[in-house]
Amino acid sequence: MSEPAIVTQELTKRYGSSNGGVLALDHVSLTIPSATVFGLLGPNGAGKTTLIKVLTGISDITSGGARVAGFDVRRESLEVRRRIGWVAAEVILDDDFSAWENLWLQSRLQDLKEWEPRAEHLLQYFGLADRKDDRVSHYSSGMRKKLEIALALLHQPSVIFMDEPTIGLDVSTRRMLWDIVTGIHREFGVTVLLTTHYIEEAEALCDRVGIIDRGRIIATGTPAELKARVKADIVQLETHQPVEAAQLKAIPGVQDVRSQGNDWQIRVTSAEEFLPRLFATIRTDQVRRISVDEPSLETVFLDLTGRQIGSDEPMRDIRKFYAQMRRARA
Amino acid sequence: MRSQLWGLYLREVLRTFRNPFVLLMTIVQPFMWLAFFGSGFGQYAQALAKALGTSNYIEFLLPGVLSTSMLSVGMFGSMSTIQDKRFGFMKRILITPTSKEVIFLSKAFGAATRGLVQIPVMVVAAIAFGVTFSLSPLDWLVWVLALLFAAVGFASMFLAITASSTDWQTPGVVSNFITMPLMFSSAALYPSGGFPSWMKAISDINPISFSASLGRGLVLGTGTNWLDLGYLAIFAVVMVTVGYFVSARWLKVE
Repeated sequence: MSEPAIVTQELTKRYGSSNGGVLALDHVSLTIPSATVFGLLGPNGAGKTTLIKVLTGISDITSGGARVAGFDVRRESLEVRRRIGWVAAEVILDDDFSAWENLWLQSRLQDLKEWEPRAEHLLQYFGLADRKDDRVSHYSSGMRKKLEIALALLHQPSVIFMDEPTIGLDVSTRRMLWDIVTGIHREFGVTVLLTTHYIEEAEALCDRVGIIDRGRIIATGTPAELKARVKADIVQLETHQPVEAAQLKAIPGVQDVRSQGNDWQIRVTSAEEFLPRLFATIRTDQVRRISVDEPSLETVFLDLTGRQIGSDEPMRDIRKFYAQMRRARA
Repeated sequence: MRSQLWGLYLREVLRTFRNPFVLLMTIVQPFMWLAFFGSGFGQYAQALAKALGTSNYIEFLLPGVLSTSMLSVGMFGSMSTIQDKRFGFMKRILITPTSKEVIFLSKAFGAATRGLVQIPVMVVAAIAFGVTFSLSPLDWLVWVLALLFAAVGFASMFLAITASSTDWQTPGVVSNFITMPLMFSSAALYPSGGFPSWMKAISDINPISFSASLGRGLVLGTGTNWLDLGYLAIFAVVMVTVGYFVSARWLKVE
């Protein structure tokens, strides 16, 4: 069996002084197998980006250890950097340069000798070959993202870090990027560590998911395994008139009740047993719409933390905010 | 290391040449000094030139203005570094096997190259103002070398001072703090003979004075002082060394 692509042991990162400061990663122990797409799911400020910074050597480790592509991040940083690629949340390209020139610069930074055939192949693969001599400032946001991924793949890395790669992208570009992530994983055999706070993204792309909250990994597994941990069904209910929450909470088997106006999200032990009891409690003509959902990763997060992902998180990374603003203006 | 240095250096140079506004400003700034400061003395210019041992004040001024311009290119090097930090490009570089020291060297040499672009433009402008030059290739080589040393030294100094900053305002503030005292305490715009003793002491170790003095040797035909060139070479080596180690330790990624 091949060595895991990423292993962390009690990895801790603290910003600021040891007494105060911010504990961004709190004894994170994680094993990510080779050739998988691993999703790190958590709200803004959970520590996702910090984990990537630490694993890529951009930030120092406060305590604990990490190995990437078989090398120690602290002691063998150069070897690690030869074997990793990085796709940022915001697109970072030299706008004054063409796609080909951006690839040339990347080849220089990676100290590659025979890079042109690989660059041609990547441009073909991403459908950019016809525009390779155009300045990238004239590219659409989707093309820019594709080029950024091509840059990350140029030196044939074994691990690629994608830090919220779809943040701020429109729905169609996001879907296109999902196809690309799946495609490059299949075509180039790389391990992908992807951070996201989009539930559907983690479910659609990832072989395995780690849920991170306040610097701690609180669960890992395949999406199916994680969802199987939740012994509950989610009933979505919309009523014509207001209903008393206490009325719903009193129904046997109800674990949690959340509401927004006349929209209710009711977590129950078994929807099969709950529904007859619900209709015995409220009149059927009060119900405008009702549906039963399987647990999602959102439910898993809710189950583990008591909070919803992104429910009350401010935009902490100001550069991500600016990146979104730039895209919105483009 | 050579591959990364060449790539990043060329990036710096190409970005300058592909940005017409930056290129124009780089060239126009010293030209304006020459035109406005050089012509500002009006009817007194002739008497001033005579007192300085030349027939044309611009002959005296040109080497000084070019030397001062080498000081200001350091600020552009710092701004380019901060731009890379703010837009995340620094992270992109450092996730590759490229070191912080290489980034520093590419910025310093890139800024120096930008400074050297000013030389041919200024020489042509000076000829238009009636300045005559030595035709000796050795004189020219020494002068260009002196300006290169000054530019590399000043760019390294700026980069070392601003290595840990990510604030857009820092290069401007540092530039204001450093440029004016260095410029006015040098022999760039006027001879240092009449300076008060404390200012003379600064002028005597100020690299701008050495660079201006070397240039005047060429323009006024008074010969090359090799010690001036040696001093500037030492200044460049010391500043590059300081910048190299400061960047390795303190260059911030973002």
